[in-house]
Amino acid sequence: MKLLIIELKKVLTYKTFWIIIGLYFLFLGLGIVMAEYIVNAMVDDMNKRLPIPLPHAVLFNFPDIWQNLTFFASIRYVLIFPAIVVIILITNEFTNKTVRQNIVNGMSRNEFIFSKLQVVFWMALVITIILTLVMFILGLSHSDSQSLSMMFNRFNFVIGFFIQMLTILCYAFFTAFLLRNTGLAIALFTLYATIIEPVIYFFLRAPFMWENKVYTYLPVNAVIRVVEYPAIPALKRLMNLQLQESVTLLGCAMPLLYSAVMIGLVFLIFNRKDL
Amino acid sequence: MKPILSIRHLSKRYGRIQAVKQLSLDVEKGQIFGILGPNGSGKTTTLGMVLDLVRPDFGSFEWFGEAPVKESRKRIGAVIETPNFFPYLSARKNLEIVAKVKDYNYDDIDRALHMTSLYDRRNDKFKTYSFGMKQRLAVASALLNQPDVMILDEPTNGLDPQGIAQIRELIRTVAREGITIILASHLLDEVQKICSNVAVLNKGEILYSGEVHQVLAVSDSFELAAHDQEALKEAVAAHPSFRSVTETDGILLAVFGDDVRPGDINEYLHGKKITLTHLTERKRTLEQHFLELLKENES
Repeated sequence: MKLLIIELKKVLTYKTFWIIIGLYFLFLGLGIVMAEYIVNAMVDDMNKRLPIPLPHAVLFNFPDIWQNLTFFASIRYVLIFPAIVVIILITNEFTNKTVRQNIVNGMSRNEFIFSKLQVVFWMALVITIILTLVMFILGLSHSDSQSLSMMFNRFNFVIGFFIQMLTILCYAFFTAFLLRNTGLAIALFTLYATIIEPVIYFFLRAPFMWENKVYTYLPVNAVIRVVEYPAIPALKRLMNLQLQESVTLLGCAMPLLYSAVMIGLVFLIFNRKDL
Repeated sequence: MKPILSIRHLSKRYGRIQAVKQLSLDVEKGQIFGILGPNGSGKTTTLGMVLDLVRPDFGSFEWFGEAPVKESRKRIGAVIETPNFFPYLSARKNLEIVAKVKDYNYDDIDRALHMTSLYDRRNDKFKTYSFGMKQRLAVASALLNQPDVMILDEPTNGLDPQGIAQIRELIRTVAREGITIILASHLLDEVQKICSNVAVLNKGEILYSGEVHQVLAVSDSFELAAHDQEALKEAVAAHPSFRSVTETDGILLAVFGDDVRPGDINEYLHGKKITLTHLTERKRTLEQHFLELLKENES
């Protein structure tokens, strides 16, 4: 509790934090608003070449909305925003040397790590709650009256999204503790998540295509694959896919395993190094 | 009584450079302990190790007679190198974070701000402060809730003369309240003016340590001449505090220890029936003396 209060003091009056978080929700909001238009524009485009036209997709009705919006909210380009916030909040401590002051003033190194883990946890939770509220309100306004069990049928995707957010923030947490330099950490993290890993994925995919899908377990990919596809029937017919009905245990376990490893590594590194 | 800080054989190596070598020292309660040494002599590394910032390669230390834990650091107020605060937070908010880390309430913050003359600017962001004010805020954070020990690493570095005077006055005020002080500095003058005890550090090793007036005692030298130079030389060499003598152009340069005054010399030589034709006291500056200490060690 004490550690959380200290972190809140550091974060709440920090302008950069609010700007990036604001940008994140702006992009997320725009994405949600435009998602239906974009998907249906694609459907229209394809219908020109199909003998039997596909029906228009409806994204915001219960219970599909849980799956659809968590899918769009966990696109890698969107996920990196909160990750960058975490990187800045941690590397700031190194560039301002306030981490030294914290230790000198009687924080243990483990306490310092825990305080940053609290930032990771609460940020993931708050973002998930905000997104859930948005989905709930959108769902209510786009659905006919339904039974509660029907409404929350695919709510497990929200749990999945929380795990996605938690894990990506853990990656950011690890990167920040490892590199300690704001610019370097943001650049490498973004580069890895958006370019390097997709390239590795591409090269791994070819040889392993028919074997064990090893490529889907790369760190960022493992996170994105928790919510694998949106619930769009047209997509199902078009691509002949078996769409997921819920998040899977293995799908959630992989990112959590990665998180645990990253956290463990931070404890190992930070306790050994000089400050 | 157990020493406040006790260091035993502390060593730290950075690559090929041995920053601190087998360093041992004790700081007793109530002392103003100076760690004096040129830049790169291992002062900051030593303080970093006892504050858990730097991991020692070898050796151990105890605070308040116990193996170091985070709780012991809460009884220490430390100003290390540069003032480290959040630039976008006000002085008060920054001190609230310090107080929270140390498990204190906020009652003592205003006193610390008053003591360091920052109270009027308490709600301004840290980044708007002048360097002198930043340094004073660092002292204020170290002063919170009357620590048992205060550590100051080069507290006057980079300050203007007024800022230096303010910080030194603050240190004296704090010392009068009975707080033990550990001061690292490369300025001999500073250590001599403020400290009661000193350890002189060079290349990570302690050259001398003890009470300031002993370690840094200035042995004065005198230019002497008399009609009978040989008799003078003999008499000088027989003086109980005699250190050395050299002759240039008919004038002897004699060095004595133990704070010998010109009058003492005159009287002593008069007793030996030698009449001086020349007597000049040559005071070495403290800086010269300090440099000599270091040089002696090198040769």
